[in-house]
Amino acid sequence: MNSSDFDREWRLGELFDARMLERVAPPLAELLGADLAILDRDGAPLWGRPAAEARREALVLEIEPAGYLASSTADPARLHSAGRMFTALLRAEARYRMASALHIEAITQDFETLKLEHSRLLASEARYRKLSEELEARVEAQVADLEARQQQLYQAEKLASIGQLAAGTAHEINNPLGFVSSNLGSFKLYLDKFAALHGRLAEGEAAWQSLDLDFVLEDGAELLADCTTGLERIARIVADLKSFSNEGRPPTELADLNGCLQHAVSVVGTPPAGIQLHTSLAPLPQLACNPGHLNQVFFSLIRNAMQAIQDAGRPGTVGIASEASPAGIHIRIADDGVGMSPAQLAKAFEPFYTTRAIGTGTGLGLSTARNIVLAHHGSIELASTPGAGTTATLFFPTAP
Amino acid sequence: MPDQDAGSLSFKLVYYGPAQSGKTTNLLRLHDLLSPELKGEVMTMETKDDRTLFFDLLPLGFRAPSGLLIKLRLFTVPGQVAHDGTRKAVLSRADGIVFVADSDRTQETNNGEAFQSMADNCHRVGLDFEHIPLVVQFNKRDLPGAVPEAEIRERWEAAPWPLHFAVALTGDGVEATFESLLRALYRRHDAELGLARDHGVSEQAFVAGILGRP
Repeated sequence: MNSSDFDREWRLGELFDARMLERVAPPLAELLGADLAILDRDGAPLWGRPAAEARREALVLEIEPAGYLASSTADPARLHSAGRMFTALLRAEARYRMASALHIEAITQDFETLKLEHSRLLASEARYRKLSEELEARVEAQVADLEARQQQLYQAEKLASIGQLAAGTAHEINNPLGFVSSNLGSFKLYLDKFAALHGRLAEGEAAWQSLDLDFVLEDGAELLADCTTGLERIARIVADLKSFSNEGRPPTELADLNGCLQHAVSVVGTPPAGIQLHTSLAPLPQLACNPGHLNQVFFSLIRNAMQAIQDAGRPGTVGIASEASPAGIHIRIADDGVGMSPAQLAKAFEPFYTTRAIGTGTGLGLSTARNIVLAHHGSIELASTPGAGTTATLFFPTAP
Repeated sequence: MPDQDAGSLSFKLVYYGPAQSGKTTNLLRLHDLLSPELKGEVMTMETKDDRTLFFDLLPLGFRAPSGLLIKLRLFTVPGQVAHDGTRKAVLSRADGIVFVADSDRTQETNNGEAFQSMADNCHRVGLDFEHIPLVVQFNKRDLPGAVPEAEIRERWEAAPWPLHFAVALTGDGVEATFESLLRALYRRHDAELGLARDHGVSEQAFVAGILGRP
């Protein structure tokens, strides 16, 4: 049992200290009219000096003596009365001490409970704080992930466009490449004839005639001229591609949007059968812009228009028009293809929205186009009637 | 674990229960009914409206044939809900518990809450509630609204603790409840304290010594 427990068995010396005994014992001795000593429960004197033959009166707090009154000369009956009185004092003191010790124990326990709850609260708060930090980090990571994926998709759309471009370009380049290569083959045969001439120089003019070198010379020059034309065509296609990709140009420069439109048209290449391209371009002021990006916008819109006509399954026309107003530049790209329903129209600019089969469209064409137009402080609007066609209207402000 | 020194052994028993279920009355009746070799006064600390504020204490004791003084100190806890801290402190270091329930049907919720608080407090002050000697007394059997005994027995059928029925005001069942706890207490501690082996105190002698029966 702990020395601070309220329910311990209290000793006399603990309940009445020396000062208290000094106040109580002398008057008690006077009342007794005899010698008096006060002893602890093991007989040790706490006040006064007991005579060897002194009579002892037990002071019982609960069921055992907590101490004794000792006197050698007191009347036994009086000593007994003094013991009862002293016991009453002791019990009153014990009650008070026990109550206050219990009170302290209870408060300490309550305080310990509070401290425990407080520490639990702190722990849970720390847990939540950690959680919220982790949450922030996780959100950041996911946002970064989403951005990376969006970037990838954007890149995929670019690659898809580039793929289409590449297919068209390959077709365009293959043609001149084919006849240049064929011409060079023929030219090599002509050189062989000249090599043969070297062996027949003795025959003189007869050999020249026999080898038909007049024709060889004439046709050889034509072949080379054709090769030059073919290579020029390839060079032009490459130049178009370079301007389309904006390679080697500063991000912003002054450009004529008609040039961009023409580039886009030439990159789109020869329209499929049944589709006519009709351009009506008015002179435009120069626009500070990123021509490479705008090329991409026009290319996307023209490609969409042609696909809309193909989707309709009938011949049609893509109209490309430009004009200038005091406020800026207006460009219209219209088709008379399938058109869009109001629901499709409402979602047309949403990223990843596509009506095409999976794998054939990323749904980023119009979204990307709008982003580019907005980056030029311009606007892009779509008007469409199902079955009748779609018109994209773009506006780029030129006034500062 | 009872408090032990060279010449004595002291058990602490606690009367626990909801407010005004009759814990102090149990102690007062025991003081009247029992006549052990050593019996102290009931130390009560009541407020003026007879509600226990801190605790009541009744000390009892007898000497074993070996000379060992066996002491029992019976405490009551304050029943009022507000005094839970005090209740916990009084319950600390208890060797046995009498749960005094109020038989009145309107008190069933209070009984249940007090019993739960007792179990919780036992755990909080480090007492082994599963093994501590415990008896349950349904007091105030004389009330017209008392829950019938059969119903109480049925409800407590699965519980491991002895059930007692009492009217503490008249003393009816008070001694039987206490005796039941004494027997549980003896069985729990006989072996480790060597009560029979070293001190010549059988269960019967233990009960007789405390109750003061010849």
